[in-house]
Amino acid sequence: MAAPMLRCLLFFLGMFFFGTNASDEFSEELFIKPLQKGYVYSHFQFTTKWNASIHHQETFQHYHLFPKALGEVLLHYDVQELHLSQTQGLWHHRQWGYPIHDAPPGAELWVWFKPSVKDIDKTWTDLANAVSGLFCSSLNFLDSKNTVTPRWSFRPQGLAHQGYAYRSYFMRYGTLPREIVCTENLTPWRKLLPCDSNAGLSTLFNAFHFHDANYHSLGLHVRPICADSACMEEAIELSQSLSVVTDVVSTSNTGAPHWSLKSLFGNHLVSACPIASKSVIMVQTANSQEPLPYRLTPEPTSVEEVIRGDQKHSFAVYQVPSFTHSGRVLNVAGTYNDVSGLQEDGTPPPIHAHRYITGYGLSDGGISCLIHSSLPVNQSIIYLDILPWFTRVYFSSLEVSNNGHKVPFKVHYVPAKDRSRPHHLELSFMLWPHSTTRVSFTFTRAFLKWTEYPPDANHGFYISSAVITALLPSSFGYTSPPQESSQLSSIFSENSTSYLIRIHTESLLVSLPTPDFSMPYNVICLACTVLAIAFGSMHNLTTRRFIKEEAKAKRGLLTKVKSFFTRQKDATLSEQADAAESADQNDIKEKSKEKLEASNDKPKEGDQS
Amino acid sequence: EEGFALQSQSISPYTGDLFHETPLALRGLRIAHYFPFGVTGFFMFVDILTLVYLYKISVAFVKHLLDKQEREKKNYSPKAEALILTLDHLNWLPLTIAGVHALNPFSIMTTLAASTAALTNLTVLMAFYYMVLGNRLLCTLFLAVASYQTLYPLVFIVPMALHFYKLSSPSAPASYVSKESVSSYFETISLFAAFLGLLVGFSFLAEGSWDFLFSTYGFILSVPDLTPNIGVFWYFFTEMFEHFRTLFVCVFQLNAVVYTLPLAIKFSERPFFLLYVLIFLTSIFKSYPSYGDTALYISLLPLWGHIFSYMRNTLVVGGMYVCSMVLAPILYHLWIFAGSANANFYFAITLVYSTAQIFLLTDVLFAYLRREYDLYHGTEHFNPDGSKARIRLD
Repeated sequence: MAAPMLRCLLFFLGMFFFGTNASDEFSEELFIKPLQKGYVYSHFQFTTKWNASIHHQETFQHYHLFPKALGEVLLHYDVQELHLSQTQGLWHHRQWGYPIHDAPPGAELWVWFKPSVKDIDKTWTDLANAVSGLFCSSLNFLDSKNTVTPRWSFRPQGLAHQGYAYRSYFMRYGTLPREIVCTENLTPWRKLLPCDSNAGLSTLFNAFHFHDANYHSLGLHVRPICADSACMEEAIELSQSLSVVTDVVSTSNTGAPHWSLKSLFGNHLVSACPIASKSVIMVQTANSQEPLPYRLTPEPTSVEEVIRGDQKHSFAVYQVPSFTHSGRVLNVAGTYNDVSGLQEDGTPPPIHAHRYITGYGLSDGGISCLIHSSLPVNQSIIYLDILPWFTRVYFSSLEVSNNGHKVPFKVHYVPAKDRSRPHHLELSFMLWPHSTTRVSFTFTRAFLKWTEYPPDANHGFYISSAVITALLPSSFGYTSPPQESSQLSSIFSENSTSYLIRIHTESLLVSLPTPDFSMPYNVICLACTVLAIAFGSMHNLTTRRFIKEEAKAKRGLLTKVKSFFTRQKDATLSEQADAAESADQNDIKEKSKEKLEASNDKPKEGDQS
Repeated sequence: EEGFALQSQSISPYTGDLFHETPLALRGLRIAHYFPFGVTGFFMFVDILTLVYLYKISVAFVKHLLDKQEREKKNYSPKAEALILTLDHLNWLPLTIAGVHALNPFSIMTTLAASTAALTNLTVLMAFYYMVLGNRLLCTLFLAVASYQTLYPLVFIVPMALHFYKLSSPSAPASYVSKESVSSYFETISLFAAFLGLLVGFSFLAEGSWDFLFSTYGFILSVPDLTPNIGVFWYFFTEMFEHFRTLFVCVFQLNAVVYTLPLAIKFSERPFFLLYVLIFLTSIFKSYPSYGDTALYISLLPLWGHIFSYMRNTLVVGGMYVCSMVLAPILYHLWIFAGSANANFYFAITLVYSTAQIFLLTDVLFAYLRREYDLYHGTEHFNPDGSKARIRLD
């Protein structure tokens, strides 16, 4: 009796162990949300959940669905959480609400390292180089000049021990606003997917359509999460996301806002990824109370309604395998019955911001950020701003005001060090209900050495976006999944009451005074000439004395000729003086005498220096 | 203001690169807020103090000039009577100096801009005043304060050491490298070093760390910030190849101080003129010159008004000064704000300005030496054959 039971037990243990070792789960989702004015927001979400702990070394020895290239990087550089986003275009919060993952224009990389790291700055630089190699982008430009350690923003999004995040010691944040995203970045990113572009939603990827879009963002997020709701075990979650906002009205032939998978991505969906445990397309059909004025074809598999906080969101869900088995294709399309409602702006989300540069000229300027709040209660936010060292911020000019009244704020400020550290400003303050708060400060522009300018010096330098972090009580315009999982389907089972948003503002362009780049040799020559004038004169005056010059015995030919003529003139003039006797002749005499003295003195005065 | 704001947040102002005042100045200048008209009132007060000290300097200097002349009269040539200074010549000097300082456009600009150069100027003038009075203690104290603020007044210790040695042994025309002279120099220099050490020590105590050293002195010495100023070196360092930067920084700093030695040898008997020439030189060649430094030496120029008749280039130099003063703000505005000119325009004007300063300096030097020559050899020079002789440098 004991032996078969023991065998059973061993068998189950073996199954469990073996199962746990190889249990990766991959799900692919496509989220489509039509926005106002003919824009359509599409978001591809590929989530790999690997039931293993990120802290164990032996986790990274066997890979199944989790990409090996990325796993090696995570292992080697002791990474606990990695968040990378590469974006082209600006997300307009006011018109479009909140995206699922907010990303600034350019590239952004922030990493939480494991506590076992010895030298964080060096590891950060090495990691940036490795990631830039993995994704063919120039993240290797992330060095101490544009990296900061935010104090309150960017807390760990995954599992973390208590006290780990206290001072943000293990975290680095860097951003490159000038970075451009192109097919070169899309290809290695797509290669990390288990199905690549052979099957599933990734067959919809079309570089032409993506790069035509108004907003286009690649995201990669790795974090440790709970394996299940009991949270007894850890898992690693890799979330890859691709967000696109397409302007359907402008890119369609007819100018009609009807959209479909074919018009958005150029392709029908022909298959689902066989390795995926879940493959769905979700279309958000109702944002607030009123239904949207379009009709979906084909009919969705199910319609889910979720109440998040005080807002009702409803989604039309298509289970892709059921539409694409046995050779059929799926083309989800939305056709509008009534396009008039589209032209309105729509209600802006609870918090949105606008940042801009003030001032004129190339010597100084200011930055102002207007944060609009339409919440009925006070909302506390954290504002993070990173400025390069060459825009020298005056901390004494920082002010936060709301309609002329000063808003009290808590500040964490690290001033810049020339050429080694950027300005790091973090503020925490309250937004008053239904009002606009303005954060403003002034800066002065530095003058760089001529080798520090980029090739197009007059284009200017980019200042990265400011980041506003808040925990909203309302989910109006909110689309992100809850904390425990990046899968969008987890929205359906959510029951949280506060929603974390992170808003990135515009990135700014600032011009610096430029020297003339063609002039190094000339400048050195001229400056040294001035120095030489000083040196030569001082040398003369200090090493020589005044002496009375000896009368020259020998004189040059020209001087001889000249003195010959003056002697002749002397002779004639003195004759005239002798001959004359009258008053005017006296005058002539005096005049001639003066002339005589003058002519005598002239060569002498000319020489006397 | 930036320093005050950072301090109130208990962030050390020296962690960033924007603040370059010394720690004691940071704390001391807080009183500017409590003045009757605020900061403007404070700088007006500093200007008036400068005026008062200039007046006192000129009064004392007149006395010193006449005393010196008395002592050396026996060496003068009998034909040099026209050059002898008398009290009625020099009576108007104090008023002239006060007037020149009050109307000097450079000093007016410095006060308007509330520049801390006004404070450095004041301390240098106070050191000058106590040097004329012969008070070694106060002289070295104020010189230490001035060098603590900006590093360059360090070289003014040379004329002061020479002068105090002369004072301690007035009769004997001893050599300047004898034992007594060296001990006298040592006394002066050690007093100065003690005061300077005290000031730096107090700053360390106030700040709690040595960070401020890089932001204040390291900044002056290594010239990292290249904001355009009225000197000639910002563009030089902008357009320089990185490889040679250390070499050029060393050469350039050396250039600022190297003239001390030959001038000290030449003017060892005339420490005040040496001090003036050194003030002039450091204000041209310091790493971040400004109009405040120009204001200082122009205000002190009438002290040697008796040499003006021997200056040769007054029209050219005057014209260059006026021209560069008028054009410099215009070209800066065109470059930075209007965007229609180039950095080269502004650089050219700073070159003109530096050249004007150098011409004025060499003219003053020349005139002084020429007058000395005339004092000892008479005003009229004739060749053996009766014709006028040339006097030249050889």
